[in-house]
Amino acid sequence: MATMNPIPTDLELGPASKGRIGKAVELPILENFGLDSQIGPTFLGFWNILAYITGGIFTFIWLTVMAAQVSWNPVAFAKYFFVLQIDPPSSYYGLGFAPLEQGGWWLISTFFLTISILAWFMFLFTRARTLGIRPYLAYGFTGAILLYLVIYIIRPMWMADWSEAPPHGIKALLDWTNNVSVRYGNFYYNPFHMLSIFFLLGSTVLLAMHAGTIWALEKYAAHEEWDELQAPGTGTERAQLFWRWCMGFNANAYSIHLWAFWFAWLCGVTGAIGIFVSMPDFVNNWFQWGIEAGIVYPESPMPQP
Amino acid sequence: MSGTKAKDPRFPDFGFTVIDGARATRVPGGRTVEEMEPEYRIKGRTTFSSLFKYDPFDFWVGPLYVGFWGFVSVLGIIFGTYFYLYATVVRGPYALAQNFFAGRIDPPPAEIGLALASPGQPGYLWQMTVFFATMAFFGWFMRQVDISMKLNMGYHIAVAYGVVFSAWCTLQIIRPIAMGMWHEGFVLGVMPHLDWISNFGYRYNNFFYNPFHAIGICGLFGSTWLLACHGSLILSGAQYRGPEGGDIENIFFRDAIIYSIGESGIHRLGFIFACGGVLSANLCILLSGWIVDDWVSFWNFWNVLPWWSGV
Repeated sequence: MATMNPIPTDLELGPASKGRIGKAVELPILENFGLDSQIGPTFLGFWNILAYITGGIFTFIWLTVMAAQVSWNPVAFAKYFFVLQIDPPSSYYGLGFAPLEQGGWWLISTFFLTISILAWFMFLFTRARTLGIRPYLAYGFTGAILLYLVIYIIRPMWMADWSEAPPHGIKALLDWTNNVSVRYGNFYYNPFHMLSIFFLLGSTVLLAMHAGTIWALEKYAAHEEWDELQAPGTGTERAQLFWRWCMGFNANAYSIHLWAFWFAWLCGVTGAIGIFVSMPDFVNNWFQWGIEAGIVYPESPMPQP
Repeated sequence: MSGTKAKDPRFPDFGFTVIDGARATRVPGGRTVEEMEPEYRIKGRTTFSSLFKYDPFDFWVGPLYVGFWGFVSVLGIIFGTYFYLYATVVRGPYALAQNFFAGRIDPPPAEIGLALASPGQPGYLWQMTVFFATMAFFGWFMRQVDISMKLNMGYHIAVAYGVVFSAWCTLQIIRPIAMGMWHEGFVLGVMPHLDWISNFGYRYNNFFYNPFHAIGICGLFGSTWLLACHGSLILSGAQYRGPEGGDIENIFFRDAIIYSIGESGIHRLGFIFACGGVLSANLCILLSGWIVDDWVSFWNFWNVLPWWSGV
């Protein structure tokens, strides 16, 4: 225990408390479910205020334009909420600015959404630095940011056509996802899509494995991971032995989080590559690509050698 | 820090209490496997030795524990792999490496219904592969129960594995029986099973409109997102040596989003997200073709709900 620090008794003040607002509120019932009972205080600084404001502007434009589409009727708004959408400009306008009702609102709202996401990255980065921890959360966020930027900004700009970007709307986003797959010859044959799905499902498996392991070992305090990193105890030893006995290989309290980080990050990054190369300049038809790669089962089986 | 703070006595306790002395077992830098493993490698405490006072396979092979269920699982793995590789790679259309992707095992034709195919008949290799795979999966599931019993831990890992095993059972056994033919099972093989999934989605018009599919996808994306958040948070605080200790992670998340769910809470939430997503995915497959034939017109009910049908 020589390397350990005692649990601080005063949880309200941490390091770098400047900019922190509110007081800690305790909700003991959360402890009944194994959740932390302390809510707040929180922090307000330049970057997260910017993220909240620009994200709020995006949400406001999105909801307001959709409400206008149903003549401000609240019942119709609720009824059609999932199918209302803001379309990007049609390909007629290229990368130029379109009239507000024909894609202009999409350009403006997407601008604010992008600023919000980038500001949130800056917030995560700077706050981690201020607190004296390393900014891995910001690093992990880059996977999701890259996927967002490729889909909404980079690929449409490369194709010189904002209409390639998804509209803002629930059903519209699902339809766009469906259509881009069909348009480029079925994304199931896109190897980067395959990798992205592999990392998506792999992340779910890793989360279930890790979360299940730690939940099963709470009574041995395996969930106190910072402490277990410095000085593994009986909880971590059991966790490691479980997987060693089950599959002949085990991570440790540190390396399981490295696996977690890379699986989740690569899900976004490989997905970004897969969607970027799906355009007439690069790969126009992934089914054709699969046939040429020789991984598609032939329509009429070849004679056996 | 969860596990140390007061709970609300008016409500039932679904939390936990750390066993006295558990924290005192921590050794700076840890112990090697050679040092600690003998303490835990104890005979007995398996499902079979609890039921029959004897487990004939209660031993380890290298690092791997065997146990009765390990034996069952190994049988399934050997025979299942044999049938799978024979059908996809040996009898595949191309050269070996490509056959790994392109090879396929089709389920039995619709005509035979729920009957068993005899050797040489179409569907025989599929039925054998599915049978031995199911045996291997079930053995693996029970083996995780055995290892959990041996290490005196909860059964959460086995439960999580059981959830994904239930997806296999739903797709290959329960739904085909509900539909009255093995033909409804999915095609085995890397690319052919992707074709099957793609065709399955459009066969019921469009799976993007299937609400249980949507919940399942949310569970998967949510799991990836939670995994990214948790993994990176632990990495970020791993080398922190300030006065806050591990609580720096909670402070960071309170600064970011007001609330930090806590060290035990994030694992509980992650477990529920991952398992819930897969369970919902089970449901979205099970309902298709059996109860719902068209997920687009499924939503017709939405427009005629009484409170806004006139709008």
